[in-house]
Amino acid sequence: MAATRRSRRMAADILTYFVLVSMSLFCIGPIVWMFLTSLKLEADIVTQTMQYIPNRITFQNYVAIWTQSSFPVLIGNSLIVTLITIVVCLATGTLAAYAFSRYTFRGRNALMLGYLVVRMFPAVMMIIPLYVVLRSVGLIDSRIGLALAYTSFLLPLFVWMLKGFFDAAPKELESAARIDGSTRFGAMLWIVIPLARNGLVASSVFIAIAAWNEFLFALMLTTGQGSRTWPVGLQLMVGEFQLPWGVLAAGGILSILPVMLMFALVQRVMVQGLTAGAIKG
Amino acid sequence: MDTGSHLPKTGMIGELSETRYWIYLLLLPSLVIILLVIAYPTIYGMAISFREMRLTRPGLTGWVGFKHYIVMIDDPVFWVALKNTVLWVTFAVVLELGLGFIAATALNRNVPGTGIFAVLILVPYFLPNVVAGHMWALLLDPRLGVINDVLVRIGILSSYKAWFADPNTALAATIFVEAWHGFPFFALLLLAGLKGIPYDLYRAAAVDGAGPIAQFRLITVPMLKSVIAAAVILRVISLVNSPDLLLILTGGGPGDATQVLSLYAFQTAYKDFNFGYASALSVVMFVILMVFAYAYIRLSKIGQE
Repeated sequence: MAATRRSRRMAADILTYFVLVSMSLFCIGPIVWMFLTSLKLEADIVTQTMQYIPNRITFQNYVAIWTQSSFPVLIGNSLIVTLITIVVCLATGTLAAYAFSRYTFRGRNALMLGYLVVRMFPAVMMIIPLYVVLRSVGLIDSRIGLALAYTSFLLPLFVWMLKGFFDAAPKELESAARIDGSTRFGAMLWIVIPLARNGLVASSVFIAIAAWNEFLFALMLTTGQGSRTWPVGLQLMVGEFQLPWGVLAAGGILSILPVMLMFALVQRVMVQGLTAGAIKG
Repeated sequence: MDTGSHLPKTGMIGELSETRYWIYLLLLPSLVIILLVIAYPTIYGMAISFREMRLTRPGLTGWVGFKHYIVMIDDPVFWVALKNTVLWVTFAVVLELGLGFIAATALNRNVPGTGIFAVLILVPYFLPNVVAGHMWALLLDPRLGVINDVLVRIGILSSYKAWFADPNTALAATIFVEAWHGFPFFALLLLAGLKGIPYDLYRAAAVDGAGPIAQFRLITVPMLKSVIAAAVILRVISLVNSPDLLLILTGGGPGDATQVLSLYAFQTAYKDFNFGYASALSVVMFVILMVFAYAYIRLSKIGQE
């Protein structure tokens, strides 16, 4: 009796590992292949017989994308746009998330609902008027203009994620500080925000990854070197110069490095925040 | 007043926070931005859909009423795009839900090493569309794609196939890529849902003689119903909304085989600069999306707390 139960358990474990390993391969395999491609000479990519393990390893694709294209400028623009987006979200979204988490006031539910629904608006419906508006105020092809456009869908997301983290922060310390004579602002700044710092970091990183990866808004709203971000630049290079596969793969690897780094740093807290924000009640 | 508190003084803002204006001060900054970059553009965008606006022909302007919507009814591309949107979203969601469920169930067994597997399985979700698109274009390339090579080697294909150029396989191939990109979202949410099911329920069912299949049918599925519904609706909204991968992989082609509404609207704006018609197309998408948004809000009971 015990033996059959143990062997059934073992079979289930083996099946579990089989599923987990094959799913991981399915997820990571394509990225590994892109990495291997980035290390190959172009002649070894376009061959008659497929090379699964590169015969010769080269870094010239990385040198090529970094020195012979505008890639560094594109990465710089992306960095600045991402930073501006985070600063705007942090400065304004933190206050709103705190208000939603700690106070009840007239119109609170309607407002929170509004912050949820605007995220579901079609991107194209926002892009067209934003293009017209930004052009009329001279913010087309500007990094600030693009960052402002990003806040249209990232600020509501940030507020909702962060509200979840504020909700989870214990309220007792805050009350104690108030009894101790602290102002509401003081209690928020010195008690609640430090308590929810993991959530702040995780929400910011999530926003940062989304802004770093964004393609559609950037394609429409950037027209030149001044503000063009890396996804748009890479896409246009493929179209204009028939970018060699190895160089394209190297560009892909370089541009996902920051994402992977940020993801690795905060994945645990971020996963909590994501799931808490998406399924409530 | 700060008197007596051990915390650093907060000055004027601190004093302001003791007045009844505090709540408005907290809400105002983000509200200003939301009104500026969402509310105003949304209303303006809807207005554009009743106007003529082509940046390539500045003279052509003015109100045209429902003209764009009437043109749409006779536009064959619109109907093809609508049909493709339904196919694309339906099959992608079904595939992603299936893969996500398998992944979540395996992760929920908490065998040693689960943490590492969970991270690896999440990675595609955070990969930029531009990179994911070109990566799969390389993997499925008709001349040097490794997937073609593997399929030929194990005898499933007789020769390399141009997956994205063949009208019969283009839509299926893009759905596959989208599923790879999006299934971790389902894995994540379903895993959270599974963890929320009390283990006692399973133990009690086992005592009553319920086998694994009965437990799945009588406990897991009913307990996960609302999580599944929420995840599906959210994913449908984001799939209807984002043409990124299609724009990179096929551009809507060959012909209109992979043309979807969001892509058609974007290209009408980006390539033809016909903002009036593109806005009308996106207003139609907006109406479709709001049906799903309404369903999501009803389901998750947000706003009734």
